[in-house]
Formats: sequence, C-alpha cells, structure tokens
Amino acid sequence: MKNRLKVLRAERDWSQADLAERLKVSRQSVNAIETGKYDPSLPLAFKIADLFEMTIEQIFLRD
Amino acid sequence: MNHVPSYMKRYFIRLAIFLSLYMVILFGGLNWMNSANPPGDPMPAVLAVVTALPILGVFWTIFRVLVEMDDEYQRFLMTKQIVVATAVTLAIVTVWQFLNVYDVLVQGPQWIGVIWLGMFGIAGGLVRWKA
Repeated sequence: MKNRLKVLRAERDWSQADLAERLKVSRQSVNAIETGKYDPSLPLAFKIADLFEMTIEQIFLRD
Repeated sequence: MNHVPSYMKRYFIRLAIFLSLYMVILFGGLNWMNSANPPGDPMPAVLAVVTALPILGVFWTIFRVLVEMDDEYQRFLMTKQIVVATAVTLAIVTVWQFLNVYDVLVQGPQWIGVIWLGMFGIAGGLVRWKA
C-alpha cells in the first residue's frame, strides 16, 4: 500500500527516528511502513493519522 | 528509538538465566554420572529431565517475547523467523528420517530442539536482512 508518510515527515522536519519515538515503535518499523514493505494494523494507522491530524485515507492510498 | 526496548531486555535476561542454568546443570549432571559413584535409578532419568528444563525455558523465552512485543512490525518479523525456523527444521528431520528408513544413515533425527534453535538463529538474519 502506498503512503505519504515520507512527505509528511519531511514537512515537519522529522527523522524516521523522531517519528518512531512519537509512535512508540522502532525506527525499522517506520522505515518498513514508509517504503511499503509493511502495512500497519488499523490501530497503528489510526495512531499515525492522529499524530499528523489527518484521516487514514489522506495518508494511506489505494494501490 | 535507538534504545533497547524493555521486552528485549527481558528476553536477553531470561535467555542468559536459562543458558547459564543449562550449563551448570549439564556439566554438574555429567560429572556426577561419570564420577566414581554415579547415581542409581531413578536419578539418571531425573537428571535428564532437569537438564532439559532450561532448554524448555529457552523455548518459552522465545515464544513469550512474541506476546510481550509492543511493536507490531518487530512481532511480524519474529513470527516469520519462528515459521522459517520451524519449516527448515521439519524439512531437515523429514529427509533425515527417510535417510534412516532407507538405511543410508544409522540413526534417525536427533537433537531436534538444537536444530530448531540453530535454524532460529539463521532465520533471524535472513528475515531481518533488508527488513
């Protein structure tokens, strides 16, 4: 699944480690989600959406 | 999040405890069995089970960390690692078993738990490679 995580992170000048810390996951997890290797669960997707104050659909895009 | 998560700290502490116990019990038990006055029945059977217990503890430690992990991607990788280790171990012991059935090898599969732990270690590297 495609996502806009990298762009949203860059807009806030956050590193992967910064985002990982805010989400309480590993940096490896952020990298895997960002590169589309791993699709997050709904709870984590909501957590990401809440952090960026957006809806899930605004961050995660259909293939 | 560069620090070691608390679930991994518990994992390493438990592994260290069970592996240390294993070494102490194994060498103690073998020394006793090979001593001038080896124990009689049923002590050898008791020693065998007691020696195996820390290894069961290692298996418990591995499966317990799956429950305790609060990072879903790391849990996904660990699950993959366990599945790969189990699949490769099953493949090895199945082929080994038939090599024994066809008299190519004198003994059938042995030390299956140790094979699994070895495959678990190798699978860890494979699963996390480029992850």
